[in-house]
Amino acid sequence: MIPIASVNPVAKLGAGLLVSVFLIATIDWVSATTALVLELVVIAFMGIEPKRFWLRTLPVWVAAPLTALTILLYGRYDGEVYFQFLLIRISDGSIELALATFLRVLAIGLPAVVLFISIDPTDFADGLAQRLRLPDRFVLGALAAVRMVGLFLDDWRSLELARRARGVADRGRIRRIAGQGFALLVLSIRRGSKLSIAMEARGFGGDTPRTWARESRWGTAEWLTLVVGVVIGVTATVVAVLTGSWNPIVG
Amino acid sequence: MTTTSPYSSTSTSTSTPPRSRFQWRVIDIVVASVIGVASGLIFVVWNIASSPVTAPLQALLPGLQALGGGFWLFAGVLTALVIRKPGAAIYGEMVAASVSALIGNQWGALTLVSGFTQGLGAEIVFAAFLYANWRVSGAVVAGAGAGLAMAITDLVLWYPGSALPFIVIYTIAAVIGGMLIAGVLSWLATRGLAATGALNRFGAGREIAKRV
Repeated sequence: MIPIASVNPVAKLGAGLLVSVFLIATIDWVSATTALVLELVVIAFMGIEPKRFWLRTLPVWVAAPLTALTILLYGRYDGEVYFQFLLIRISDGSIELALATFLRVLAIGLPAVVLFISIDPTDFADGLAQRLRLPDRFVLGALAAVRMVGLFLDDWRSLELARRARGVADRGRIRRIAGQGFALLVLSIRRGSKLSIAMEARGFGGDTPRTWARESRWGTAEWLTLVVGVVIGVTATVVAVLTGSWNPIVG
Repeated sequence: MTTTSPYSSTSTSTSTPPRSRFQWRVIDIVVASVIGVASGLIFVVWNIASSPVTAPLQALLPGLQALGGGFWLFAGVLTALVIRKPGAAIYGEMVAASVSALIGNQWGALTLVSGFTQGLGAEIVFAAFLYANWRVSGAVVAGAGAGLAMAITDLVLWYPGSALPFIVIYTIAAVIGGMLIAGVLSWLATRGLAATGALNRFGAGREIAKRV
């Protein structure tokens, strides 16, 4: 079992990006399939509950065939044309590109979802500020806002109840959601303004150098995560080049 | 209604020199983050809803689905219109994209690349106006910039095998969607927010306050 939850979030993000860089450089089914198979092997050892896995990766499974359909209908044509209607042209070439697109979306999307579900926003912010040295005021400001999401949800419920009490909750659903969304934005900006005063009162954003309550660790596990990302990307590229199907997107 | 914020008056009275209009105050950072996160939650809803909603557009004319892409572009423009600081468009769009990526979507880690380029598209426009045009014209051109950036990113990353008509229609639709949804809607939202008094400590809010 791979203890992926304890790995530094920055490393998980890095691994996701590294795999993606190799995959977006080309559009062919060989590299995408190779990467996908390797990723599924790694994911199988992460011990994610099947129900959670399918639920969280559902958007990827929906998007992959839809993106592929676009390419199938409007992709570059090549070889025999099977069907043509206005701008739609299904050909040997577009079928191959569509298959490659389908596999590519899965190979980029699935590992990212699996890597990101175990990321805790606080750990992520610690990693971004301490390891990547991003400006701490901005990282912690963003973290403060992310932590307000729970309050957003409470506010949303209160707004709904208030509208129901006023008798304006049941008609014009889409308009009501838009109006309620705007009210929520007003509430959250007010709360953000108050929060910023409280943060400044406690010395946030001052001139003294910041110290950290939680150290963001970076060790063997983090390097290993990045290496796995590179290995998957390089293997996929090498296999595709060797089989002669590597098809760079530029040129 | 006060026209100077209590914050800036206290900060200038301490030993620090007066701030330039381009420096980020703490309230700028926190409120930009709040707008970014709220936009990110809207992105998450649109990530799932966009395909079925824009499918009829795509059937009408391939590439026309990029019109709906504007709902992924407004975060940067809206943040910039409210905060009015250099980097606000990139920051707002990046925070929103991070929320979208961490909750999980089909674009994986590349969501952050899209977030950066889309924010950059709007940022370049605001910078070209020397961070002085926050009227509807600036918002619309910034939305167009974000739309163009989205079209380039999407076509390179996700639709590299597409044919020329698709590329042209997709780009034009993305720019128009950006102008209408990211530009006009964000501008209207900023004006609405200012009218509620929530932006009294920002330039965007003080302008309205003077007019009333």
